[in-house]
Amino acid sequence: MHIVVCTKYTPDSEAKMSVDEEGNISWGDSPLIINPWDEYSVEEALLLRDQHGGTVTVLSVGPEAALEALKHAVAMGADEAVRVWDEACAGSDTLATSYVLAKAVEKMGDVDLVLCGKSTIDAQTWQTGVALATRLGWPSLMYTINLVELRSEERSITVERLLEEGRQVVEAPLPAVLGTTKGINEPRYTSFIGIRKAAQMEYPLWTLEDIGAEREKVGPQGSGVRWPEVFEPPAREGEAEIIEAETIEEKARILTEMLLAEKVI
Amino acid sequence: MNKDILVWVEQFEGEASAASWEAVGVARQLADEGSGGVLACVLGGDGLKDLAEEAVAYGADRVLWAADPTLADFRVEPYATVLQHTVREHEPGTILMAATFRGREIGPALAVRLETGCIADCTELYFENGQLMATRPIYAGKLVSRCLIPERRPQVVTTRVRAFPKPEPDLGREGELVELSVLMAEDEIAVKVTGFEESEGGVSLADAGVIVSGGRGVAGPEGYEPLRELAQILNGAIGASRAAVDAGWIPYEHQVGQTGKTVSPDLYIACGISGAIQHLAGMRTSTVIVAVNKDPEAPIFKIADYGIVADLFDAVPALRDALREKLE
Amino acid sequence: MDFGWTEEQRLWRRAVRDFAQNEIAPRVREIDEEEFIPREIVAGMADVGLLAPTVGEEYGGAGADWMMATIAAEELGRADISLAVPVLYLVEAAWGFIFYRYGSSGLKQEYLPRVTRGEAFLGIATTEPGGGSDILGACRTRGQRDGDRWVFNGEKVYISGVRESLDWGGIHLMLARTDPDEDAGHRAFTFFALPLKGTGGVIPTYFDDMGRMGISTGGFALDEVRLPLEHQVGELNKGFYHAMEGFSAARTLIGATCVGASEAALAMGMDQIKLREAFGRPIASFEGVQFPLANLYTDLEGVRLSTYKAAWLMDQMYRHGAATHHDIALAAAMAKLKAPRLGFSIMNEVADWHGAMAYTKECPIEMGIRGIRSYSIGAEGTPNVMRMIIARELLGKDFLPTLYTNKS
Repeated sequence: MHIVVCTKYTPDSEAKMSVDEEGNISWGDSPLIINPWDEYSVEEALLLRDQHGGTVTVLSVGPEAALEALKHAVAMGADEAVRVWDEACAGSDTLATSYVLAKAVEKMGDVDLVLCGKSTIDAQTWQTGVALATRLGWPSLMYTINLVELRSEERSITVERLLEEGRQVVEAPLPAVLGTTKGINEPRYTSFIGIRKAAQMEYPLWTLEDIGAEREKVGPQGSGVRWPEVFEPPAREGEAEIIEAETIEEKARILTEMLLAEKVI
Repeated sequence: MNKDILVWVEQFEGEASAASWEAVGVARQLADEGSGGVLACVLGGDGLKDLAEEAVAYGADRVLWAADPTLADFRVEPYATVLQHTVREHEPGTILMAATFRGREIGPALAVRLETGCIADCTELYFENGQLMATRPIYAGKLVSRCLIPERRPQVVTTRVRAFPKPEPDLGREGELVELSVLMAEDEIAVKVTGFEESEGGVSLADAGVIVSGGRGVAGPEGYEPLRELAQILNGAIGASRAAVDAGWIPYEHQVGQTGKTVSPDLYIACGISGAIQHLAGMRTSTVIVAVNKDPEAPIFKIADYGIVADLFDAVPALRDALREKLE
Repeated sequence: MDFGWTEEQRLWRRAVRDFAQNEIAPRVREIDEEEFIPREIVAGMADVGLLAPTVGEEYGGAGADWMMATIAAEELGRADISLAVPVLYLVEAAWGFIFYRYGSSGLKQEYLPRVTRGEAFLGIATTEPGGGSDILGACRTRGQRDGDRWVFNGEKVYISGVRESLDWGGIHLMLARTDPDEDAGHRAFTFFALPLKGTGGVIPTYFDDMGRMGISTGGFALDEVRLPLEHQVGELNKGFYHAMEGFSAARTLIGATCVGASEAALAMGMDQIKLREAFGRPIASFEGVQFPLANLYTDLEGVRLSTYKAAWLMDQMYRHGAATHHDIALAAAMAKLKAPRLGFSIMNEVADWHGAMAYTKECPIEMGIRGIRSYSIGAEGTPNVMRMIIARELLGKDFLPTLYTNKS
């Protein structure tokens, strides 16, 4: 089995995010980490490898900071790590990123299963996994909360995936792209021995040429979406807005309207 | 491509999700502004007639529907194929769908097939110089991004659940129903659905987008009942202060605070919680905090965004009823 | 001079912090009240590589150097200010290393893989009813050769992990007098690996501690306890020197543990003083609060640096032969002298900032105060013994107080 896990680095989930006057996003002195959703994918890949044998390769498209994510995955136990980058990739949306990932997976050639996290905690689009499956023409099994069975000799897989109303049980042939979600497993912590390996390992860098990707299909020209403006949501007042009305029913109605306007319900 | 907006209306067992009607509502509004029509697409196994008519009532001008055994269960391949074909034929400039599990999977799949962009999980949509603009929260709502798809058409957009009002259905509206041809045969579809297990409520604190939390003011284990009813409407979880846990009214798993769990939901409703620093340490990063407390001097009001000064046993049921009226 | 961390050190700190803050920190009150460390925490520590990490990989350890071991001690102290988990960690890291270095291969094969998996405990037993720091005067437990056995009689007290060793199995490195000649001086003691569980003639006792409740303190009497020869650890009559080596290691880790716990206390305190208001302003804005903070932070940074210097010197000696036991003894004694006392002061100050709540169990600081007091009283050497070591390194052996005591 060759299992590929796609991963990305993100600022720590506790980071205090801000935007400066030029529109640059900053996360202060918070560390960069592996996207927390990706840890479930790494863990599932390691469990599958231990059960079926084979190799786990972690893959990330990104600048040098992407090594944070790759190192974490290797410290958890992944065997190989590949980073793909070219300055031309900056400003890629998921349309372009999924193209680069697909090219990298195709270059590896022998991949049986690709795992992606549900989303990334930065842009949180939830798109890359299914976009990659579409690029590769492989089945898309997003929001998998239980990997029921993988039959390596039959090359097929059965999973339970989440929908609003419950869990859908799905069977698909391999190769496939599987999106994990919280609840599928309990990701392990990195270990001393794993960290030693991660710190000493070489991390190959693949260029667009290496994976045979066309430049016009990456970066802004290869993307559909642009995001010219990022801003901090308006700050709140120090004290609560006490809702005043004649009756408690009226107060409740006013509060409901406010919560709807806040878009939190 | 034309100025029409196509909305994929998702359904489960013949019932559309409310979020899809929200998408139809915003599509109607945008189409009126941009002088286009609203096309609704309804896919399923059978019995879609009622749903198609409902789509008209909610604002669709034309409903494109396909009922086929291959579409009985939600699957990306056959759904995206029908949608892709429909888009080719009807050439809408914009495709909208709700950012549900299904929508978030179909949206990007369709976008890649059409070599276009997909803006996910929008909370606002509006035109600026004829260009559709979207805002969406990023970094767990700590920042907001303004997005657009400048060149490629059609453009795909998914709308955040409950970010847009659900329109009032107008049963007198008239629209056209068009049946679509189905392109995939079952043996061409790789993915097979072999079962479905309906979920049975109960949301955990860590995952919850909404937490309804009770403290000393709930006055006993049965005091959590109105909070549970409120949480159920909001698909939320139940939290508690240390005082309530220590009193034995609710198990420790529910405790929020320094010695309990640290949570950061979109909405935290603190009921009868005075707001000791230890409690605040566990929830102060919540996006919106609502406090319900009898004591106007309670420290919880210092960090809350909205407050109701009242007995929680009056306020919580009133809020439950107000929400039920709006959301259901 | 380079104050930066290597890539491995940076990743390791993050890994330990991640584990400790998620799995240990939320359960410290529970550990304090239930008076034991849950098995799943011990198992998790084993997975991360936090049990006797200084032991070589061939015995299931990680072959960690002292910088790495010290980083882990600081992070565990930060997560558990009651210091129960850090005690488990540092006793095994320091004395596991001594056993790994000097134990017989058969016994190492028998115990170390279990220790590193969290299935056996490894502790240290030197203190006796007559004292601890003054080994020469206090170590009365006798070890006598009888054919192919060693036979022991005596008593050890204030020993960490007696209950753990009896529950899980494992060994305590026990120091015994093996040369009855009083003139033999320091060359009269030998270390032995004593399994408390299942060894005839071992009679355990327990003490009800004031703090760090999660790990037991006890003792045992030895009544004609017989052990095979391979239980001897290190050279005959060289036990004192092996003990000094272990003490230096343990003192360095204690320094780091107390630094970590102090940092956690200060962080908690800073949260408090920024939120807490008096006379209409946050109390952080008062000189009476912020100046002590500035002083304590400055002192803490100094202790932190000297602790890491001790760890660095240990690596210099063990890995590069570029430092001596004297360098290490001095550096470790300074860390051990300062860190627990400073930590105690910091926790007291932080308690003041919390007001009356600090005197209740609502506030975790009382666990810190009770826990850290253990290391400022003694445990791997009293403050005055640390001062003696420091003075000995500065003045030379001719001015050792013991020289004059023994002469009179």
